[in-house]
Amino acid sequence: MTVAPEDVDLSTVDLSDRDWWARPPQERHAALDRLRAERPFAFFAEPDLPGIPAGPGYHAVTRYADLETISSQPGLFCSGRGAVSMQDVPAELHEFYGSLISMDDPRHAKIRRIVSKTFTPRMLERTLDSVRAVVDDVLARARVTAEAHGGVLDVVPDLAAPIPLRVICDMMGVPEEDRSRVLACSNIVLSGGDPDLIEDDDPLTAFLTAGMEMAALMERLAAERLADPREDLTTALVTTEVDGERLTSQEIASFFILLLVAGNETTRNAISQGLLALSEWPEERARWAADPSLDRTAVEEVVRWVSPVTWMRRTATRDGEVGGHRFTAGEKFLLFYNAANRDPAVFADPQRFDVGRDPNPHVGFGSRGPHFCLGAHLARRELQVTFRALFDQLPDLEVTGPPDRLRSSFVNGLKHLPARLTGVR
Amino acid sequence: MRVAVERERCVGSGQCELLAPDVFEVDDDGAVRLLQDDPADDGAVRDAVQQCPTGALALLDGD
Ligand code: HEM
Ligand code: SF4
Repeated sequence: MTVAPEDVDLSTVDLSDRDWWARPPQERHAALDRLRAERPFAFFAEPDLPGIPAGPGYHAVTRYADLETISSQPGLFCSGRGAVSMQDVPAELHEFYGSLISMDDPRHAKIRRIVSKTFTPRMLERTLDSVRAVVDDVLARARVTAEAHGGVLDVVPDLAAPIPLRVICDMMGVPEEDRSRVLACSNIVLSGGDPDLIEDDDPLTAFLTAGMEMAALMERLAAERLADPREDLTTALVTTEVDGERLTSQEIASFFILLLVAGNETTRNAISQGLLALSEWPEERARWAADPSLDRTAVEEVVRWVSPVTWMRRTATRDGEVGGHRFTAGEKFLLFYNAANRDPAVFADPQRFDVGRDPNPHVGFGSRGPHFCLGAHLARRELQVTFRALFDQLPDLEVTGPPDRLRSSFVNGLKHLPARLTGVR
Repeated sequence: MRVAVERERCVGSGQCELLAPDVFEVDDDGAVRLLQDDPADDGAVRDAVQQCPTGALALLDGD
């Protein structure tokens, strides 16, 4: 089904409504195309959250050039008033869940440098073998699961979720027995309040409980590493000093949560929706499967196409003007990466999935600025290894049904994607 | 070609290291350092300088 931009009734589009985000991607993109062309700084009211007063609303930035202008001026458009929520959240909650991502320089840069080296291309070269081992093992288990169920499997829990979870837990040194809880908690933290993922009736309570559970795990792990340092990220976090002081256990816990959540939910959705895109574009699948030299560009295209993180927020620190829009201090901007990634001013034929697209200056990992994704090199590597292994080891994998989408404006996610191995009978 | 590095701005994103690994390295302090004082003028170094997400790199006058 295709939806043309002119078919969209913009008066029914509310980017704050999480149900709108569960609508088919073609429809969402058609609406974003209209916004980009006609109302590039469209204003939306903030949704109500229990216990948090609704704020003044925000502008939806949908043009690539405006997004870059804002992202590259962190002094004028700050993150410190919240980068991952539309509302100004209470300070404690914000520090707890935001960590690095909702901090401004100079502290942001100092904290980020504690871990930045671990995520550089050079250092990751050393972890390539362990990423391969994780991927091979997950694929082998998925085959066993499928064989036990007449070939049927669910891409999200059987393939896409375990790969990034195991990779980031290995890097952090999280013990095997804690990993399923870590996955459950990170689901809740990023669920955007999707009731399917939250057993509790009250999303805010569930959110806090999940955060506390992860923090408790981290406190235990941190104490172990202080006593007995190892070569993992957790050890770096507990032993490094910033401005002559060690991070507090609170700071370590929120960093840990950020790494787990940011490392899991994003890569997982790039895998599941990359597979979905390949099933919708069979010639592109055949072309990529046959040619490993396309791994690099194809993975960039998957990230552009899926845009797993839909937006980040910035808040104006002074009055000013951007892209013809005058703003005052305190005004909020949501940077819609998914809209910028289909901006026809930058991408030729943006609604086409092209595994050879080059150049591909997408902003799936963020645009210019100090918050550019810490895990970008890791994610690229995970995705390259995963798709190549899928072509080689599960060549008969076929998506069989429509996906079940997450109801979240923030993460473009799938809860389920039915599939089968056609070779199993 | 001379490259200036402003380490305070660098967040160690490793983008420059990816593009020109012989010239840039994120060191143990998590910020970039130059592996060569006067690297050869090639497209990769220029790309790295131009694409640094924090503007921590610059080409010095004359280059
Ligand atoms: C396909 C996968 C991924 C996508 C699409 C993605 C996307 C993003 C985006 C859009 C940002 C915000 C950039 C900005 O505000 O300018 C970000 C930041 C971040 N990402 Fe990723 N990410 C992915 C994988 C990962 C992985 C595997 C990790 C692993 C640890 C990670 C860790 C982080 C962290 C810590 C930040 C905050 C950095 C800061 O504030 O300085 N991400 N990511
Ligand atoms: S690209 Fe810029 S921010 Fe990233 S490591 Fe190089 S100098 Fe630092």
